[in-house]
Amino acid sequence: MNCLNDAQIQAVADGEAGDAVRVHLVSCTRCQLRLQERETVMQTIREAMSLPAELPRDLNLRVERALADGSTAGATRLRETRGPRWSWQRSIWSAGAVAAATLVAVVLVAPLVKGPATVSAAEILARSATLLAAQASTGVEVLEYELALDGVPREMMPDHADGVYRVKQIIDHDANGRYLVATHGPGGQLLSSVAQDPTTRRRVVAILVDDQPYRFDFDVPASVTLSLPEMERLHMQASVMMMQASGDQQLHVIDTPNGRQYRIQVPQVSAQTSTAMWDLTSAEVVVDASDYHIVEFAVKGAFLKQPYSVSYRLISRTLGARLTADAFEVPRDPRAIEIEGEGSAIPARDLLVASLREYARLKTQREGR
Amino acid sequence: MNAPLTPAQAAQELFRQHGAAVYRFAVALLRHHQDAEDVVQETFLKLLRHLGAGGSTENIRGWLFTVAAHALRDRQRRRVRWMPWSEHHEGIVGPPQLRDEDGRVSKLRDALQRLQARDRLLLVLRSQDLSYRDIAAATGIRVTSVGRLLARAVERCERAYAAGVETDKSRAIKPERHGIL
Repeated sequence: MNCLNDAQIQAVADGEAGDAVRVHLVSCTRCQLRLQERETVMQTIREAMSLPAELPRDLNLRVERALADGSTAGATRLRETRGPRWSWQRSIWSAGAVAAATLVAVVLVAPLVKGPATVSAAEILARSATLLAAQASTGVEVLEYELALDGVPREMMPDHADGVYRVKQIIDHDANGRYLVATHGPGGQLLSSVAQDPTTRRRVVAILVDDQPYRFDFDVPASVTLSLPEMERLHMQASVMMMQASGDQQLHVIDTPNGRQYRIQVPQVSAQTSTAMWDLTSAEVVVDASDYHIVEFAVKGAFLKQPYSVSYRLISRTLGARLTADAFEVPRDPRAIEIEGEGSAIPARDLLVASLREYARLKTQREGR
Repeated sequence: MNAPLTPAQAAQELFRQHGAAVYRFAVALLRHHQDAEDVVQETFLKLLRHLGAGGSTENIRGWLFTVAAHALRDRQRRRVRWMPWSEHHEGIVGPPQLRDEDGRVSKLRDALQRLQARDRLLLVLRSQDLSYRDIAAATGIRVTSVGRLLARAVERCERAYAAGVETDKSRAIKPERHGIL
């Protein structure tokens, strides 16, 4: 018999060879060497592909339970939930904390998913990203949530002595662009409040700096094409898409007194060698399984190489709230220094420009010019 | 005399015997724990249906890997639909850390990822100690072709490995060759 071909050597290494092949091998040193090499290669491949020997415990329990139930309906997915019927979405922003507020936008997004929603982590994130582009619903919505900030967004807050804030938002979905956002410090003091009403073309911003309240009253243009909440929503969408792209989503099902939730963690969102302008190094979301709205969101990363972290926790959400007319008004503080000016699509810039103009006016006045 | 197992009991028993292997197989190809878990559940619930309908239990291991392989393909297609940039998925699930002082295992893992899907599938199935008969069932190729195709897959893997090593070498000598300073 001639020397063995590669397939025969492979078959011997795999224990699948016939008698004639094995007989040849006994007497052929060259083929024995080739077999030895092939066995080494196969062993190395096995090592390279070695994976945990045990099943994840929760998978084991779920499958055992599903098999014991004997139910074969909808057998292709682990997680069955009802598809949500109501469709609403909204974006919001937290005064001053631009990056942080962006995260909130996704919380207000309700999915438009039809039919069974038995999704994996990647699909939940994909839907979230898609839904961020969905249309707003109607009515007034009230949200309260807690924000913990560090790094860039915290530096943008008017008073960043402590990085934990409580935020209340009121959004009028019937009047595009009408909202109020109030941010409180850990002691309950009002740090900032922003209210905008496109029907009156006014935006009022109240902030507290070094215990001195300021109130800015701006005339805003009728057509602010891309609002700050919308910009932040896009930013949020990008965050979710980054999480989605990572592929390393870890999904945990959590049963809480308020119902089932999905926790999706992405330990490393961006490539470790990334030199991107905006980089997420880790992210986590908690999603309500009943309707897929996000109740918690936390990211760590860097913006322009400046590290930051934001975590969000929803406290309450009311849809179709009935509020009095002054609910969208920023309350007046008699101690406040009041400044008026022309507004633009960029609230933060408006504050800076109005402050400088006021400073220049006072300087001129003082110098008697 | 023991009563015969119900389909659910039989499926549970087979899950205990083969569940981990199917899971390893799915993780090795998908590199995504959640998707792999879905594939495992899908496979064994299909097994339950199969047994409930009086299906054959002959070569059940091959049957399981066949079903799992189909589920994997569906999953990969779905992932592409959701994630057009799915190449970023590669390498996401971290394999166990092995002693790899010379970097051989990590380079081999890179080489495996560069293989064609069928080559990788064959090698993963073989690394799970599936027989040629089971591999043939799972991949839809003839039993008599398995050895030949496996041998080619191994050769291509070796070439990909060698190419990776050469690339590393060329990268390593570039600074000296071009003189950074």
